[in-house]
Amino acid sequence: MVAFSKLFWLAVAFASSVYAKSSTGDSVLVIVEPKKRDDYNIFFDGLREKGYELTFRSPRADSPVLIEDDVPNFSHVVLFASESKSFAKDISPQSLVTLLNQNTNLLIALSTKQTPLTSLAAEFSLTPAPPGTPLISYFPERSDAPNVIPISIPKTHSQIITANTAPVWYSGTSFALGNNPLLVPILSAPAHAFAAEVDGGSADSLVDAAEKGGEGLWAGSQLGVVAGFQARTGARIVWTGGVEMFSDEYAQKEVAKGVPSGNKQFAQDTAAWAFQESQVLRIDKIEHHKLNATAPSEQYTINDQLIYTAYISKFNPDKGTWQPYSGLKDLQLEFTMLDPHVRVALPADKGTPGKYSVQFRAPDRHGVFKFIVDYKRKGLTHLFSSTTVPVVPPRHDGYPRFLSAAWPYYIGAISTSVGFFLFSTIWLAGEIKEVKKGKGHKAE
Amino acid sequence: MPTAYPLPSNVAPGTVANTASLIRIVALALISGAAIASRLFAVINFESIIHEFDPWFNYRATRVLASKGFYEFWNWFDPTAWYPLGRVVGGTVYPGLMATSGVIYNFLHAINLPVDIRNICVLLAPGFSALTAWATYMQVFTKEMKDSSAGLLAAAFIAIVPGYISRSVAGSYDNEAIAIFLLMFTFFLWIRALKIGSALFGTLAAVFYFYMVAAWGGYVFITNMIPLHALVLIVMGRFSNRLYVAYSSWYAIGTLASMQVPFVGFQPVKTSEHMGALAVFGLLQIVAFAQLVRSHVSDQQFQKLLKMGVIVIGLLGTVTFGVLTLKGWIAPWTGRFYSLWDTGYAKKYIPIIASVSEHQPTAWPSFFMDLQFLIFLFPAGVILCFRQLRDEHLFVIIYAVMASYFAGVMVRLILTLTPVVCVTAAITLSSLLDTYIDPSEPDVVDDSKSEANSATTPGTPANGATQPTPKKAKKAAAASTSQSTLSSTINELTSSTSPASKKSGAPRQKGIFGIDSRLLIITHTLFMLVYFVIHCTWVTSHAYSSPSVVLASSNPDGSQHIIDDFREAYYWLRQNTPQDAVVMSWWDYGYQIAGMADRPTLVDNNTWNNTHIATVGKAMSSSEEVAYPILRKHDVDYVLVIFGALIGYSGDDINKFLWMIRIAQGVWPDEVQESSFFTPQGDYRVDERATPTMRNSLMYKMSYYRFADLYGGNQPMDRVRQQQLPKQSPTLDYLDEAFTSENWIVRIYKVKNEDLLGRDLKSANAFAEGKKRKRSKPVPRRKALTV
Repeated sequence: MVAFSKLFWLAVAFASSVYAKSSTGDSVLVIVEPKKRDDYNIFFDGLREKGYELTFRSPRADSPVLIEDDVPNFSHVVLFASESKSFAKDISPQSLVTLLNQNTNLLIALSTKQTPLTSLAAEFSLTPAPPGTPLISYFPERSDAPNVIPISIPKTHSQIITANTAPVWYSGTSFALGNNPLLVPILSAPAHAFAAEVDGGSADSLVDAAEKGGEGLWAGSQLGVVAGFQARTGARIVWTGGVEMFSDEYAQKEVAKGVPSGNKQFAQDTAAWAFQESQVLRIDKIEHHKLNATAPSEQYTINDQLIYTAYISKFNPDKGTWQPYSGLKDLQLEFTMLDPHVRVALPADKGTPGKYSVQFRAPDRHGVFKFIVDYKRKGLTHLFSSTTVPVVPPRHDGYPRFLSAAWPYYIGAISTSVGFFLFSTIWLAGEIKEVKKGKGHKAE
Repeated sequence: MPTAYPLPSNVAPGTVANTASLIRIVALALISGAAIASRLFAVINFESIIHEFDPWFNYRATRVLASKGFYEFWNWFDPTAWYPLGRVVGGTVYPGLMATSGVIYNFLHAINLPVDIRNICVLLAPGFSALTAWATYMQVFTKEMKDSSAGLLAAAFIAIVPGYISRSVAGSYDNEAIAIFLLMFTFFLWIRALKIGSALFGTLAAVFYFYMVAAWGGYVFITNMIPLHALVLIVMGRFSNRLYVAYSSWYAIGTLASMQVPFVGFQPVKTSEHMGALAVFGLLQIVAFAQLVRSHVSDQQFQKLLKMGVIVIGLLGTVTFGVLTLKGWIAPWTGRFYSLWDTGYAKKYIPIIASVSEHQPTAWPSFFMDLQFLIFLFPAGVILCFRQLRDEHLFVIIYAVMASYFAGVMVRLILTLTPVVCVTAAITLSSLLDTYIDPSEPDVVDDSKSEANSATTPGTPANGATQPTPKKAKKAAAASTSQSTLSSTINELTSSTSPASKKSGAPRQKGIFGIDSRLLIITHTLFMLVYFVIHCTWVTSHAYSSPSVVLASSNPDGSQHIIDDFREAYYWLRQNTPQDAVVMSWWDYGYQIAGMADRPTLVDNNTWNNTHIATVGKAMSSSEEVAYPILRKHDVDYVLVIFGALIGYSGDDINKFLWMIRIAQGVWPDEVQESSFFTPQGDYRVDERATPTMRNSLMYKMSYYRFADLYGGNQPMDRVRQQQLPKQSPTLDYLDEAFTSENWIVRIYKVKNEDLLGRDLKSANAFAEGKKRKRSKPVPRRKALTV
């Protein structure tokens, strides 16, 4: 069913536009206050340019609903109504999680105000800074307010953001990242930034916040401002502390003389990751068979030489197609029964793009084994494939027939047979009288 | 000669013999019919269905055998059992039962009778019980244990005795179904071989011994009975060439043949259980050799040789056995074997054996329930065997002693006692009837003569064995009336040839006068027999014919109400879950799930891996948080529990729970403790006073989940344990209720997947229910500096 719907969306993608598309679909619902809708035109136009169909909805409007008949209506949801305290009935933290469960991607902006979304962030192991404490930095010296901060993008950052993007303007709250392995940090606060009330600047509020937060000052590069999260279904969600970074204003604002800010690029890249355009992988198919065979067996025998092959594709957002991908260097295969009995590297096959193949010996242990490929890297789609095969002992005629070690037994058996034959011959051909006597004696 | 009642005088002896043999044949046919018919209660009351637990595996294996052939069956590796360990079925099964059904199936199909394999399996046990009756008849009659009337009685007894029916009703497709026939027939062939010293019969005994080895683990009983018999014969100085030939041919061929069964393999030469047979074989060779030497050397030399030889061989044998045992070449006795000697052993060391109800020591009532009046005829029959004490009587005596002991140790071993009880009871009853039906009356003699006679033939009692005496004497006196001819014919038919009859020609002094005393005893005996039949019928129809897959209760109006929860649940699994969904349940239900639901199971009734069973026990007895990783690791998709509290089904999992705890504790003594499931007062409770460990255990939660909802605010009541449950039902975070059967007997839970967002499922549930989460604090990243 899932595969079918994916196919369907792919078909739609091919049919409707030649532009790049997400791997999961192109309908986007944008939940934004109607009056603020025009603030983000550059971002929205960018999305339209790529081929997305945008639908707008006010946070308190009743339609279009997120989920109808248990089926999500949109492939992606952008929630820019970051300051709304109340939403329509169908937009609740629970329904947003349900969306993720059905492989709908989310892009959610928080604000310094306490909203229902703040508590939702906690479910994603994010701890937003206390309400009313935006991120502040007095460096570098500039004419803007201290809560409007240029953040440069580290060179060694994840592959989500295009390399050499100019620094971006940021304004909003920040959050501490939990140790959830599903979190993907996208942009961290600068080292000199901290969370505090803007102009009050009183030490008391800082201390308050520190005590509330429980870990000293909300400060430094450990704070995140944009973070991704990849749910177990593969659905992605991006949290940002401030919606302004997607605005036209910041996109056009210069970070230095003559250098436009990177906000436009950053917004598009973030959306591309969130909407499963970039860094999307999948396992097309897997194959397994014995050495010198082509078809998979229903079961393997212990100590067989097995060949396992996985075909992996990456989604190409430029063409909107899946292309074989050989770029994974650290793929591993496990052959598991309760514990991995075999764990080998699964290297890319040089001849065929997208093919990863390895040969290994099945363990000397019968049981129900699983070929497991479990590849989880931050930012990339998690790859998981599990194939169950029984590994059985040799058949009754599968053992070696003659063992050199057994010759003493063979000789014993043969010599006894020969001896018995000779004895019987001599006995029968010999004295008949005695035989008769013996028999008569026995029968008594 | 005075007779108590007139005998017809105009019947030719040939007619009598023919009529007698016709009656014998008709009687045997009727006995077979009765044997089969009384086992069909299960089919008539319920339906043609496989019963209980183990038969479901045998049935499943037979289907594989029938559809894929013998070689595929031999190499069958079942990946769905003991997931994920799998089970090498071909090498861990006694294939005799399946092979028998397979042969019958193929034969019927070859003659164009397309009978379903299920019907063959269901009706195999009744069919073989008819054969058992026949084998019993052969054993008693042909071996001249007594005579053909005793044989017919024994056959009739074994045909309907509940102790045997309990394991062989239609649908009880278990190894015992054919094993008892094989047991009786092997013993018959052994005694026959011993009696005539025939290597042919010895070989036949070995062949049937092989069949028995292939069919039932209880073959060890034969493996030790026959050597014991041989040993006793040697010790009693009854060594003969007949014994030598019979035993050697049986042992050599039987052992080699039994080693061909993959499951048995090298056990006959490696394990202690089989060492007795080997030792007796060796002893026989020595004794035979000694006989040979004695016939060639003088007595004095022989005495010396004998002493030397006995000492040397005894020492040598002990040292060899000791060394081999120490080296591990001979496996020490298995736990199951120890538990036969020490009834408390299993409970202490192998809870998994003790947890099986049929391994419990036998209670007295069950002897009466299973054997009725045979149980008090049994000792009399054993004593009657002592009167003649030929080799075969010795066999019956040894069998009786051994089987009585084992039947006292384990309930299920009443089954091995039953045949010998039937045989001895038949000997007793037939002696009694012989004595009282016999028309001849004792001669009235004066006291002095009788005293003198009683002095010359002391211990000549009034039993069947000595009945013929006066008639023989009379025949010798050539009284040429047709009556005497007839009586001698009857004599030949009804009584055994006793050695006493040969030497004594004196007129009888003891006997029964008149017809009234005869009628009294015979009527009483008949009454007992009739009552026995009524008892057997009642027990069979009420106690032993329930398939246990389908339960029956009666409605208020007396009509039968079928409770079919098990099949309802198993078919739900079959139709609503993916083919490879792993189902976890306690091991009792493993075979049924595999057979009826066709789903992989973690553990089943073949309890070969204690650790795996303990893992399931641990999962059941731990809290959800602890159990969940275990479930995930074993790829468990569904958990099945049996819950009887609603309708009062006492065989449910909460009652078995203590065994799960004990077995788990045996492997993880630190993590599971039996004591924490008992209240401080030492009670096992499920109500408000249940311990927190009990209430948090997965088993408790799954059993009583949403149970209170049924009572709509009233106090819920556990009808099995007669305890009032808390009004608040337990909650489940890591499992979802997937299915609950009509009477709540079977409850199936689906194991949830890991949370979408990587949370633990408890907080995920709390979030989904809209509960506010406590504001979490960020994880401290800085560590305090330590100097």
